[in-house]
Order: sequence, then C-alpha cells, then structure tokens
Amino acid sequence: MRVIVASILLSLAATAANARPVSYQGGWTLIEETDRQSTSLWTHYTVDPALSLGLRIEWDRQMDFVFAGGQATFLGKRWFGENYQANIYPVLGLGHAEGIDDREGLSGLAGFAGVLADWETRRLFVSYRNRVLDAGELGDQFMQAARVGWAPYEGDTGDLHTWLMIEVDHRPQNDEPVGITPLVRFFKGAALFEAGWSITDDQPLINFTYRF
Amino acid sequence: MLTTLALTLALTTVSVPAQDHDHEGHDHGQSHDHGSEHAGHHDGHGEKTKKHPPIAKTEAIEKALKAGGKPVVADVLGVVCDFCAKAMNKTFGRRDDVSAVYVDLDTKTLNLVLKPESKLSDPEIEKLVKKAGYRIASIRRGEEALQGSGA
Repeated sequence: MRVIVASILLSLAATAANARPVSYQGGWTLIEETDRQSTSLWTHYTVDPALSLGLRIEWDRQMDFVFAGGQATFLGKRWFGENYQANIYPVLGLGHAEGIDDREGLSGLAGFAGVLADWETRRLFVSYRNRVLDAGELGDQFMQAARVGWAPYEGDTGDLHTWLMIEVDHRPQNDEPVGITPLVRFFKGAALFEAGWSITDDQPLINFTYRF
Repeated sequence: MLTTLALTLALTTVSVPAQDHDHEGHDHGQSHDHGSEHAGHHDGHGEKTKKHPPIAKTEAIEKALKAGGKPVVADVLGVVCDFCAKAMNKTFGRRDDVSAVYVDLDTKTLNLVLKPESKLSDPEIEKLVKKAGYRIASIRRGEEALQGSGA
C-alpha cells in the first residue's frame, strides 16, 4: 500500500503550496505539499471567489495512514490595501482514512477542519494555519504552523520572485512537537515552488502549486 | 474532538463579508462602489491623489491600440503577486471584447485595451475584477489612460 501511494504522489510531485487556496472563479489549482509530517496532493476548482472545492490525498508518514477525500476552502474574509492583501480561509475536509504499515487494517471515516490566514506585501509575508483531524480509530491530530518570509527584491509581473522563509510548526502528538523549517520560495507566473529542510527532523519540505 | 472541530469552524466563519478593503487608511466598507470616482485628481475625500501611471506599453497593448482599441487602466487593490496577475489575465483574457490585458505588479494596475466595438462598462470591469478576487480603486479611460494623470 505504502509503495503504491508513494509512487503516485512522488510521480506527480515532479511536475510543486500554501498560497491562495481559493483562486479566481473558474480557475483550477494543483498543489503538492511535503513536510516533516506528510505528503499530500490536492486539486481544487474555484466555484466562486469565496469558495473552492477539491479532492485531496494525504499520506501521513508519522501516523501511518492515508486520507482520501474532499476539501472545501472558504474565503472567510479578505482585506485589501494599496500595498497589501490579507486573508482568512476556513477549511473543511471529509473522506476516508486507511492505516498502512503497522496500522494496516484500521480504517474509517475521517474529517478535518482548520484555518489559514496570511498577510502579504511584495516584500513581507506572514501566515498561520492550523488543523484538527479526526480519523476515527486511527486517532486524532492537531497541528499549527506559522511562517514569516522576506523577499530580497521586488519582481515585476512574470519575473522570478524569490522569498526566504522560515516555518515553525507545532504537532503535539509527535516525538518532536515543535519543528523549524527554513525554506526558499520561487514564484514565476502560474507556478510556485518551495524547498526547505526541517532542521528538527532532518526531513525535506517540497511544495509545488500550479494554477491554470 | 468534534467539539474542537466545530469551535474552530465557528471562530473562523463569523467574518462576513468575504472581502473588505482599506484604501489609504479609510475603511470604506463592503458596499462602497469606487467605480471611477478616483478618475480625477482627487480621491473623493478632498485629498490630492498620487500620480496615476499611463497604460503599460507591452507589445500586445501597443498592437491593440494601433488597431483602434480603447485603453483602460484600473488601479487594483491587493495586487501583490503573480497569482493576482494570473487571475485577472485569465478573467479578462478570455473575453471577446478585450484585445489585450496586462497586470502590472509595480504600478498595481490592470491595463486593458478594449475592442473598438466593446461596450464593457466600468461597473462590469469592477464585477469581473471582483470575480477574480480583487477590488478596483479607480478606473481611467481614453487620454487619461494613455497619458496618466496626477502630479
């Protein structure tokens, strides 16, 4: 099971996470996210400027289960300024979780809820996200993460944009509850790619987002 | 756990409406329609506005202008990244009445050249920008769009 999931996710990951989970009306977004906890792949369609609906597969490497289901992301509120944008996105998901490896045989209905919030200018970025997941007999999970970023230069439309970021995440159920991950974000046109390394767990962070 | 889920959701969905803006320190609220009220040299509050840039001179825009297209420049709030540009490029690029579109991150403007026969109005442009997830602060057309304005 693990090999199958890994093959699917890694093969798709080759084509890059946290930016604007609701797109423009009628827009599609493909997102791959890998961090010290899990690898996920999801795609969503923006039905309305305040709602995107998508499908999500998530392989939790720490808790040994795979989640597959639907995810709805709402634009709860957006603040506009001449030089900034800030957003709050409530997120809901519902699907099926199945244990792998040592937890094979366990499965059940799973659901999650969370919040993403960000504030961004062309030079500064701050975000916070959290999620509570209930995977039935596979257990519960809570995580929260905050990120700050700085762009060393302002790129114009279509240029390569570069961000230096650091993310601190808190996962109370882990052996190492607090993780620190420095990362670099590259952003060009419709594609966003992030690469980092968890100095807590010696695990990579690889995120990719493509909007079409 | 379900209680926590419900609480998390409740705390984050109380903030409606979905979009708000704070333009130059003034919170105008959701229903305020900027339209083209900022098209002149004053922002409607008795304050002199900053310089408005002329339409961006991309190859596609110059070609469309030479073909008789009508220039439109809109100041857009919240434009901070290429995803913002992508959203508006897609929204306007698929319209038959738009010959050229370019979102300039440096000037935070949406630059359009409308086909000569286009009847796309300012309120319709505002509505389309809203569908893309953003908000118009002001719209300029004609000579003002070509030359820019302000001190």
